[in-house]
Amino acid sequence: MPTALLGLAHHLPAPQRVGSVQRPIFAEPGGPSDLAVPAAGQALREAAIAAPDVEFLIFATMTPDVTFPGAACYFQDKFGLGTVGALDVRGQCAGFLMGLMIADDYLRAGIYRNVLLAAGEVHSAGLDYSEAGEPIARLFGDGAAVAVLGVRSDGNGLESVVCHSDGRHYERFWIEYPSSRQHPLRLTVDDLRAGKHFPRIDREHVERFGVDHLPEVVREALHAAGVTAQQIDCFLLSHVLPSVVERSAAALALSPSRWVAAGATHGHLTAAALPVALSEARAAGRIGHGARVCLAACGAGYAWGAAVLTI
Amino acid sequence: MRNAHITGIGRFVPPKVVTNEDLTARMDTSDDWIQQRTGIQQRYYSEGSVGAADMGAIAAREALERAGVRAEDVDCVIFATLSPDVDMPSSACLLQARLNIGGIPAFDVRNQCSGFLYGLATANAFIKAGRFARVLVVGGEVHSTGIDITTRGRDVAVIFGDGAAAVVVEPVDDPHKGILTTHLHAEGKYAEKLWLECAAARERPRLTEAMVEGDPPRVFPRMEGRYVFKHAVQRFTEVINEALEAGGYTAADLDLLIPHQANLRISQMVALGFELPEEKVLNNIQRYGNTTAASIGLALYEAVETGRLRDGNLLCLAAFGAGFTWASALIRW
Repeated sequence: MPTALLGLAHHLPAPQRVGSVQRPIFAEPGGPSDLAVPAAGQALREAAIAAPDVEFLIFATMTPDVTFPGAACYFQDKFGLGTVGALDVRGQCAGFLMGLMIADDYLRAGIYRNVLLAAGEVHSAGLDYSEAGEPIARLFGDGAAVAVLGVRSDGNGLESVVCHSDGRHYERFWIEYPSSRQHPLRLTVDDLRAGKHFPRIDREHVERFGVDHLPEVVREALHAAGVTAQQIDCFLLSHVLPSVVERSAAALALSPSRWVAAGATHGHLTAAALPVALSEARAAGRIGHGARVCLAACGAGYAWGAAVLTI
Repeated sequence: MRNAHITGIGRFVPPKVVTNEDLTARMDTSDDWIQQRTGIQQRYYSEGSVGAADMGAIAAREALERAGVRAEDVDCVIFATLSPDVDMPSSACLLQARLNIGGIPAFDVRNQCSGFLYGLATANAFIKAGRFARVLVVGGEVHSTGIDITTRGRDVAVIFGDGAAAVVVEPVDDPHKGILTTHLHAEGKYAEKLWLECAAARERPRLTEAMVEGDPPRVFPRMEGRYVFKHAVQRFTEVINEALEAGGYTAADLDLLIPHQANLRISQMVALGFELPEEKVLNNIQRYGNTTAASIGLALYEAVETGRLRDGNLLCLAAFGAGFTWASALIRW
């Protein structure tokens, strides 16, 4: 039996203005674990699994509540998941897909019977909202989603998940500080004054890489699942630059009714982008039970991936 | 479903040795005080701009060579660290660049002292599920740039050292060999008994000058030592028992126990509880300090090199640390 989505829900904070756009911004103090808690309650209700019966927890984020321990530990405590394993994964924009790949194999190997996969980001705590920083700050939003994974009797589920990384261009889209390789101290006040703790993006390089790799990884996931693009009811595509999503959909010759830009209204939610978009599309009736979807993301690392899933 | 097995191991520690005596020049402490509480005699500090991925890449090359696996044949990189080279992306990506193996999935596991075993358990799942055939699991830390090496920070600072270790994990045909069972746990209730607060995305903003310059600064790890000690002994014992029971063994069957090198006194107390003689427990914290995600790999390397771990031996790896997280793996070598 394939790994199936048993429950899925998302939680977004209220929108606020960032320049000319609206973004979900978690205004009060709190981290991604706080955003994931309400989503988890809903996802577990749908899955008809009680919190004490969750066997393993994975949290994908690049903006953890504190530096360590990770968001998974905080989430575990707030949600009351006892002493189950709590794995914190850093896969940047492909974080959810990497988490999905990991969860899939823990399940298929028979190590756990269900896995709670959370993805959440509080980007707003780490962005430069000054006029100079706004062009990058407006790209991002805050939010979280939780997927409950296990096995379903109807046999529907994950048909493929593929992930890739290529660290050779890591400085094209990164946050340099705190930087443990910097001696004698990984973070100084001078580093903060220089803004080295804010994300930096080489738009041209990131765009070119995304346009090359997002359609390619979609094709790879389709091939791995043994399906054609025509057999997919909805493509959900995620990239920090909206133009990459549009150009990828065009490269795949998808008509507008067949794809969703994961960041269209919320900005880029990084690890949370795909599960939030999937949860929203489902809630809006855009995709229903038995629909086959393709999720794909490409971003910092570089890291990219795609999955085919019948929900 | 084939078992996964460790087929190669490598390590790297930076050349600079820092003895307890060296630390006395930077803080009010003494060799006696440090040794009595932790067993540590020296540790290594990275220099220049050498990060966890730089050291991890050297360890990985050695592990690959010993496994007889070419870097380009690796299917996946799992990097365990709490001291990444840069804030984002992952050190796994940087290591991938150092080894020039772009294209395969690479991600970081951020599970502190249990990170190596969380990574190993995940590699085990990948291999059992048949997704990958050659997984590189690396643990690497540069603590020395993120601890308060003054009298104010001495309780934590004296403990930690830098280093890296790597293992290659592959399927094995013999069903009695390799990783027999893995066990992962966490208890976030105690997150702030051993933690590094800032950068903190739960704060607004996540980093400020006050966090860096305050007294005490919020950008260094903090620990309630006694609390950690007590929980460590309990959870180490539980998770080793869990592995033994799952495998149908008792402590008497163990040929070697390698506990995460958190503190020599913790390891000794755990070993005492299992009535394990000294030769069945590998401790090398005396020479490395606590290297967090690298410690089990560094100790495993030593076990292989010195012949303390031989073909057919029953090995238990166990960890406890920040989170709290704890974990174990039972391996037929």
